[in-house]
Amino acid sequence: MLTRHFPLVIVLVIVALALLLPWLMPWTYDQIDWDAVRAPAFSGSHIFGTDEIGRDRLARLAAGTRITLMVAIAAALVSLIVGIAWGATAGWVGGRVDEVMMRIVDGLYALPFMFIVILLMVVFGRSILLVFVGIGLVEWLTMARVVRGQVMALKQRPFILAAEAAGTPPITILWKHILPNIAGVALAYLMLTVPQVVMVESFLSFLGLGVQEPLTSLGILVKEGADDMDMTPLGLLLPGAVLVVLLVCLTVEGERLRDRFS
Amino acid sequence: MSLYEIRDLAVDIAGNRLVDKVSLAVDAGQCTAIIGASGSGKSLTCLTPFGLTPGVASGLIRLDGIDLASADVGQLSDARRKLAGFVFQQPLTALTPHLTVGAQLQEATMQAGSARPTRAELVRQLERVGLSRPDERLDQFPHRLSGGERQRVMIAAAIAHGPRLLIADEPTSALDASLRAEIMTLLDQLRAEQGLAMLLVSHDLASVEGHADQLVVMDKGRVVESGPAADIIANPAEEYTRRLIAATPRLDEPAPELSQPGDILLGTRDVAVEFQRPGWRRGRISAVVDASITVRQGESLALVGGSGSGKSTLGRAIAGIGPVTQGKILWQASALPQRRNRTLEMRRSIQPVFQDPVASLDPQWTVIDIVTEPLRNLRPDLDRAECNDSARQALSDVDLPEEFLTRMPASLSGGQAQRVAIARAMIASPQLLVLDEATSALDPLVGAEILALLARLQRENGLSLLFITHDIAAARRLCHRIAVMDDGCIVETGDIQAVIDHPRHPATQRLVAAS
Repeated sequence: MLTRHFPLVIVLVIVALALLLPWLMPWTYDQIDWDAVRAPAFSGSHIFGTDEIGRDRLARLAAGTRITLMVAIAAALVSLIVGIAWGATAGWVGGRVDEVMMRIVDGLYALPFMFIVILLMVVFGRSILLVFVGIGLVEWLTMARVVRGQVMALKQRPFILAAEAAGTPPITILWKHILPNIAGVALAYLMLTVPQVVMVESFLSFLGLGVQEPLTSLGILVKEGADDMDMTPLGLLLPGAVLVVLLVCLTVEGERLRDRFS
Repeated sequence: MSLYEIRDLAVDIAGNRLVDKVSLAVDAGQCTAIIGASGSGKSLTCLTPFGLTPGVASGLIRLDGIDLASADVGQLSDARRKLAGFVFQQPLTALTPHLTVGAQLQEATMQAGSARPTRAELVRQLERVGLSRPDERLDQFPHRLSGGERQRVMIAAAIAHGPRLLIADEPTSALDASLRAEIMTLLDQLRAEQGLAMLLVSHDLASVEGHADQLVVMDKGRVVESGPAADIIANPAEEYTRRLIAATPRLDEPAPELSQPGDILLGTRDVAVEFQRPGWRRGRISAVVDASITVRQGESLALVGGSGSGKSTLGRAIAGIGPVTQGKILWQASALPQRRNRTLEMRRSIQPVFQDPVASLDPQWTVIDIVTEPLRNLRPDLDRAECNDSARQALSDVDLPEEFLTRMPASLSGGQAQRVAIARAMIASPQLLVLDEATSALDPLVGAEILALLARLQRENGLSLLFITHDIAAARRLCHRIAVMDDGCIVETGDIQAVIDHPRHPATQRLVAAS
């Protein structure tokens, strides 16, 4: 388990650190230490030093990881629920309903997603809710397609016909026969959606469209680090490394799950 | 000396010895057939010497004087390319979907190092395997061809480079009975014309009988019996061979004793089923046209036809799990509505059993949940304990021990899974079972057991059966009457023995001749 799933173990360690560090550290992510602005690493109680206005780097890194993962998991769950509901309905009902629903999915795929999000930000102002909406808008599309395909394949299987002959009502067939049989594939795609959302959220934040100061996320930290990298490269390297490790590990684990179930 | 000879062949995969002490020989112009149930190691025996399985072969393997067991990779691939040709079971998956028939034939011809064939040569190759309009076929893709046509193309490709040995691994198992006979006749013809040696693998004794010169019967990776085919079939020496021969239905075996049928239970009157063409395309496809059949109380009706004749569609319409476009389905005197409009009482009287036993059980459910599913819906008056008691009874009715109740479908063999499916169909005490090719996917021994089980259930419960199949000999073991379907129409009905003795319609004649 430890050696075979070590990417998963690394992800869990990062999550645990992000959750536990605020309890263990004397500094919070928005607290300014006026005596130690731009402190180097290992100075006093600041393990990785402080940024250009004196906030503890480690505390901010933990907070950023928390926000990024929170957005990612929430958006992935939303995409899971919407995607399964949409895809299962289209696949189960079939015919014209299926055609119309899947053309809507195709249409949404074709929208320039970044442009829409920037437009929303300009009109409604920056908020974490809009980040959710923007990301949720695109990430369920793949899930809906995958689930629809699975449901259409399952619908032809004799055990579904046997259930119909046994008098099982359609809703029960969907709930008890179809959904349990697509759960594995859906879970695998959920694992693959999380790193995608991390990526999108970080990108939005890097552009300055994500969460608002003093709240932070990995994307914002990378941006701040990049602005300041000629002075202290640590500010870019730390969040960058966490981001890369998270993405790689989640993707490896997700691909492995997908191979197992499909 | 034989062209191809195997002595004391053993095949190991990952340290497990799956085939042991197998010896056989094939002479030029002769056919040797290996017969055995699935998992008996017959395909491993044929394909491993040519490096086509993950197994490791040891023993003496000699093809045209070359020792394949000690051959290096180059010699092996030489033997594979030049001396041997292969025909596989699934004609669709064995042809490359994105290459035209002509391109695949060209590749097959050039594999032995000969020059690029001209178009006229390719046309001749297709003519040789009896394909109509060969010039047009060369530019078609495999999905445009029917199953029988694809298998002819496979055979043309397998002999295109002039091999000495043709290895055919279940060449007819995916085809229906009349096509099966056509392909076997073609293989016989080619063998005689070209002096090919043929090694044939099949699970079905009936399909090789009359075509094979030598017979090798295999079970559990070992040879049970081998010798001239006619001798073995006439005088089997081993118990296993005797059981295999007894299990294979034939038209000349004594007629079974069947119970006397009662009143008319089910009738269809001019039932038609049409399907919308897929996608946005306009137009409809007629699967069943004006079909009228009757089934009496305690009677078995065989619904026989080739693949694509509409027999399954009609069966599904009757079982209430498929659409009906026109016509009426009558149950005793009242009309049955279609699909979801049927009441639970109507559902209880008709239950289906399907061809693929593994796919007809939900892989996520335990056997007890699968078997009690109809009861939970159709008999809301029963509580949980009564349901479980019925499940135990149903399982013992199909000769399965009680500990199967907690098993998952993945841990069942094909025959056990089919028994579970029959238990599920029987648990709500139906009056009519619709059996859609219920024995076709099973090995002959297992299929014969399921046929005997169905006959017993019918006798004991006064059950009516609609037995949908392409195998007229299997139907004869169980059925009183027969209805033959061709191209969506019922073309002939009558007493099964009378129809077999005097088939009138060409489709019936083809089916009878093929059995």
